[in-house]
Amino acid sequence: MFEVKHITKTYGTGRTQVTALDDVSFRLDRGRLLAVLGPSGSGKTTLVSIIAGLLQPTSGEIIIGGKQVHLRSAAEAARYRRTEVGLVFQEHHLVPYLTARENLLLVPHLSGRVTRAHKERADTLLADFGLTERAAHRPSLLSGGERQRVAIARALMNEPEIMLVDEPTSSLDTERGLQVVELLKQQIHERAMTCIMVTHDPRMAGHADEELHLVDGKVVDNGARAAVEAGIQKS
Amino acid sequence: MLALKELLGSKLKFTLIALVIGLVVSLTMVTSAMSEGLLTGMSGAKSSLEADALVFQRATYPTLERSILSADDLEIIAQTPGVASVYGVGHTYASVSSTAEAFDVRVFGLGDRLDQLPIVEGTGAIGPCETVVDITAKLEGVELGDTLTLTPVDAKLTVVGFTEDRRYVMVPTLFVDLPTWEGLHVASVLGRIEEEGGTDAAATAQMEDDFAGSASVAAITLDEGVTLEDVQDAFGDDYTAASPDEAARSGNGMPEMILAVGGIQWVSITIGALLVGVFFYITTLHKTGQIAAIKAIGASNAHLYRQLLLQITVLVAVATVLGIVVALGAGAGMPPMMAFDPDPGRWTVAVLAVFATAYVGSLFSLRSILKTDPATALGRSSEA
Repeated sequence: MFEVKHITKTYGTGRTQVTALDDVSFRLDRGRLLAVLGPSGSGKTTLVSIIAGLLQPTSGEIIIGGKQVHLRSAAEAARYRRTEVGLVFQEHHLVPYLTARENLLLVPHLSGRVTRAHKERADTLLADFGLTERAAHRPSLLSGGERQRVAIARALMNEPEIMLVDEPTSSLDTERGLQVVELLKQQIHERAMTCIMVTHDPRMAGHADEELHLVDGKVVDNGARAAVEAGIQKS
Repeated sequence: MLALKELLGSKLKFTLIALVIGLVVSLTMVTSAMSEGLLTGMSGAKSSLEADALVFQRATYPTLERSILSADDLEIIAQTPGVASVYGVGHTYASVSSTAEAFDVRVFGLGDRLDQLPIVEGTGAIGPCETVVDITAKLEGVELGDTLTLTPVDAKLTVVGFTEDRRYVMVPTLFVDLPTWEGLHVASVLGRIEEEGGTDAAATAQMEDDFAGSASVAAITLDEGVTLEDVQDAFGDDYTAASPDEAARSGNGMPEMILAVGGIQWVSITIGALLVGVFFYITTLHKTGQIAAIKAIGASNAHLYRQLLLQITVLVAVATVLGIVVALGAGAGMPPMMAFDPDPGRWTVAVLAVFATAYVGSLFSLRSILKTDPATALGRSSEA
């Protein structure tokens, strides 16, 4: 079980204070894919950044498997991301001078040691994502869809408690974007992981198990969804 | 893994910077070898004398050419508490005129320590009117067994051996026994006096008597536990004592020359450090997005900095090998009279200095790594 409780994030003070997230709470069971939707500036990326330990919330708690996440230093936050979190970025952010396989092995390398088990896991993931033939290729030789699949496989390398996926299809066409989301969903279900996917595309969100809509930093109820979706489609 | 993969993945970029750093390293080494070569060429005959100290006549230090100690002075020095042994070292000027082209030499008379010269050809056993010559005299056409005619004293010396690294003021040194030196020195002084209007027989005899048993300086060894300062205190103002190396480095023009060459070395090392620092800083700035992403997936600042240091170490090591090859090549291509004397100790210091300054230069990049916000990988800054 993954839980976000009363997360608020404000920037600045006094008249210049901006509230990016306002008392956001939700729960997510293992094996579920949650799509976070909202227009630009609604707080989606801030929410993911806080869950990833990249930002400290002004108030509120994050609970993974019944334990509250306490990150007192940058080093502690880095360790948390290495062990508990799998991150997929809007841009694939693969290391350009590493092959697809080496990009996957980068994750255990950051933890200090790459074992035979890690190498086997990397090979398995590459096979699961249909990338065995591309394992020795650098990102510059991969297609956009292949790069994003390598990025997702990399996020799964450390067997994270929670996957955080930021606009994974924004650089792909609709067909390839849907393929990536389907693959992601399949992996989440198979591995019984928790996944939060930020998207502004309702078609992608339609493949998620659950949806969370943010507007101006607040979770909006179902009644307000129609208006939100209308706003998104206009944007 | 990251550091080495990046080096291999961007061969051209890193090869170019290794070449530039290598040239800076070679410049540092060439200047170091030239500095050492100049020191050897300018005062090798003096700095290599086997002694704990050289003792100069009052108020003449560090000018060997002006110092003259009488037999009584040498006796006083020998009797000074803390002095274990003494031998006289004489110096005079001359030109060799028996070769195809005349060339200047310095003549050093050595007391009872003629065996200290490293002999590279011939013998070190020097008899009256015989000489062991610095090997650079061969460039002037001098060979073993030659009889050299010295002017203006009109003396003849037979070459019985060659030694090395014993030049003085960049000209070859002729080593003779002290009585031979004494004769040459007196003849040289009398010759100058005659040129200025002559002298009489009585004055000549008096001068020969005065110079009997004299030397330019005294080379002394000290009793165990006695320091140079102790002996200087005992000498008071009568004599000045300095180690052979210190005396060599204090010679006329030497401190300025050493400073100038040292300055070139430090400027070279500073340029090398700046090159490494700026190169890695710009490289780091170019990949802040990538650094942010790697930090976002869990890399610590320490891990990234270790990778940077590994890259710098590999790069500077490659550049150092390149620099040594270039410096040795440059040395091999220099004319024999050129002052070039590579000293492994000084080269080691130069290499360590390049490494140390490169690591200092890496602090620019560390600053950049520390400032890179992993949140920017998700399109957000934590300071927003």
